[in-house]
Amino acid sequence: MELENFIILFIVIPMGTGVIGVLLKQRVHIARVLGVLSFLATSALAIGLLVHLRSDPAGILVSQMGAWPAPFGISVVFDSLSGLLLAASSLVALACYVHSFSTVDPVAEKRYFHPMVQLLMFGVNLAFLTGDLFNLFVSFEIMLMASYCLLTFGGTRLQMTQAYKYVLLNLVGSTLFVIGAGLVYGMTGTLNFADLALFVSERQARGEALPPGFAALSIALLLVFGLKGAIFPLWFWLPDTYYTCNVSIAGLFAGMLTKVGIYAIARTFPMIFAHGHSDAAKVVMPLLAISAAFTMFLGVLGAVSHHNIRRILAVHVISQVGYMVFGLALMTRVALAGCLFYMIQHMVVKSCLFLCCGIVERHTGTDDLDKSGGLLKRDTYLAVVFFIAAMSLVGLPPLSGFFGKLVIIREGWRESMWWLSIFGLLTGALTLLSMLKIWSYCFWSPSGESIERTPANMPNTSSLRPAYIGATLLVCVALFLGFGAQPVYEIAYRAGEQLAAPEAYIQAVLGPEVIENLARARAESAALATAAVEVTP
Amino acid sequence: MTIILSICVAVVFAVSLYLMTGRELKSIAMGVFLLGHAANLSIIAMSRTPVRHEPQLLKGAPILTEGFDPANPMSSIVDPLPQALILTAIVIGFAVMAFLLSLLVLTSRKTGTLSIEELGVVATQDD
Repeated sequence: MELENFIILFIVIPMGTGVIGVLLKQRVHIARVLGVLSFLATSALAIGLLVHLRSDPAGILVSQMGAWPAPFGISVVFDSLSGLLLAASSLVALACYVHSFSTVDPVAEKRYFHPMVQLLMFGVNLAFLTGDLFNLFVSFEIMLMASYCLLTFGGTRLQMTQAYKYVLLNLVGSTLFVIGAGLVYGMTGTLNFADLALFVSERQARGEALPPGFAALSIALLLVFGLKGAIFPLWFWLPDTYYTCNVSIAGLFAGMLTKVGIYAIARTFPMIFAHGHSDAAKVVMPLLAISAAFTMFLGVLGAVSHHNIRRILAVHVISQVGYMVFGLALMTRVALAGCLFYMIQHMVVKSCLFLCCGIVERHTGTDDLDKSGGLLKRDTYLAVVFFIAAMSLVGLPPLSGFFGKLVIIREGWRESMWWLSIFGLLTGALTLLSMLKIWSYCFWSPSGESIERTPANMPNTSSLRPAYIGATLLVCVALFLGFGAQPVYEIAYRAGEQLAAPEAYIQAVLGPEVIENLARARAESAALATAAVEVTP
Repeated sequence: MTIILSICVAVVFAVSLYLMTGRELKSIAMGVFLLGHAANLSIIAMSRTPVRHEPQLLKGAPILTEGFDPANPMSSIVDPLPQALILTAIVIGFAVMAFLLSLLVLTSRKTGTLSIEELGVVATQDD
């Protein structure tokens, strides 16, 4: 059996488990076991394929659905970029899912909680793997639909009223995406990423201009992906969304949702919409750079100003997204590799912090910093886990955040975007401040005076066991990303190379035969068009 | 034809934007649904006879043999892909519409109102 055929499993496994989960509505335990097995299988598969691809010269696995040739059928592409993201997202999903066993409301759990988590991951995995723009839209919709349901699970008034902001904004964003995809097809005649990249690079090689309006189209799509990724002017939906839902689900959202938006930018802009020195690139790059500065700095200022663990963490997601956009704004291959490394480390670390926050909430009954305290003595293990995750987020040297920031900031300096690098460093300092705020109020300060310890409100530690397992899993992954940054960066550099110079991707997806056919067909249709022009007058 | 379609798109867009500026969740939801229809219409407006590379590569594919006029091949076919896109977008739109309407029903049951101002007040109260 060929390796390419394994790729489809990333999509089939969560989808199948989700469908079976619908049938297992009442049998919670079987659904849990199946769900854990599904995430274990996808993460093992992703890591296995990544290790295999390291020694493979091409480094890209492509599967054409139904054996339709590439620009017509649906291509599913597993390259270094999607591989790393798949591995990280499956691990994060596994940890958050296990953590949710101890936080999810038992009544809500029977309302199709398990299928929804699986379908969310189905959408995320499809988004990472798909090779064409319209399929990306479909995967966004699957993911968003599941996230709408997970967001309103408890059915409380607060959730209901806050959900509208998220749901309506995303609906408008999706509509813009459909229009954008239609425009792309109208201008270029294809939706396949590889074919689009070929179209753009061929035109640039011949010195021809791109179709009129291509820059406007790039900006429309940047708006769509930026909305999902919560970059600077489009981030206002995020804090309320993460604040109202179940904490394990908030962890999962913090890991997945914004990253999928950033992934979509990373996949399409360096290869297609801002490739080379086109007009579109001249407009998009400064926009990205300015947005990165504001996203980083305003996000962290928001985090410093809040006084509530979950809000601090939620607003912090925005600030961290800024670093990724920073990497994208430089668009060199080193910066793209840094952006990718930062994405996966942020997925792991931020979800881990949310999971810790869930345990803190169970210990203290609140997430208000003033009312909590003394956790260092009461739960030293949790304190250690939180400290490692928080320092990874800040970017203290042996930990994972350092390597992500180092590469992006140094590359910014080299590409004479020094002002952006200064913003990055400043944001790092303020991140430290906000994390120390949680640390000192929650863990270091003497026991919070307002809490009375009675047997009734003592946390049931045995029911918290899954929560500890989830947080521990993620902190181990975070430590691996810190101490084992070398092999991960090797893969990330490869991904950056594939994005910055898309020839390998085009060759792998389309194949030499199709490329030849396309070139011939294009020459013929150009001849037809000139003939038609000559006939008309 | 394209001009008529683009006028339709503009009108539907205008109506949906007007609806979305309303202060009632119902009207906003209707505006969002109409926006989806405007998007689909605009894709139709962009669909055309294939000019690039389809006929050469798809020669003999079943999708093109039916209603195929050998004398004038380019005029008898339209691009099937935009229609497939619209079909998918409509199906997704149905699902989203069902979800949003049920959310509206649940919200009005829980809070007794669908006006944005009143919901803002309700949100701060406890359950």
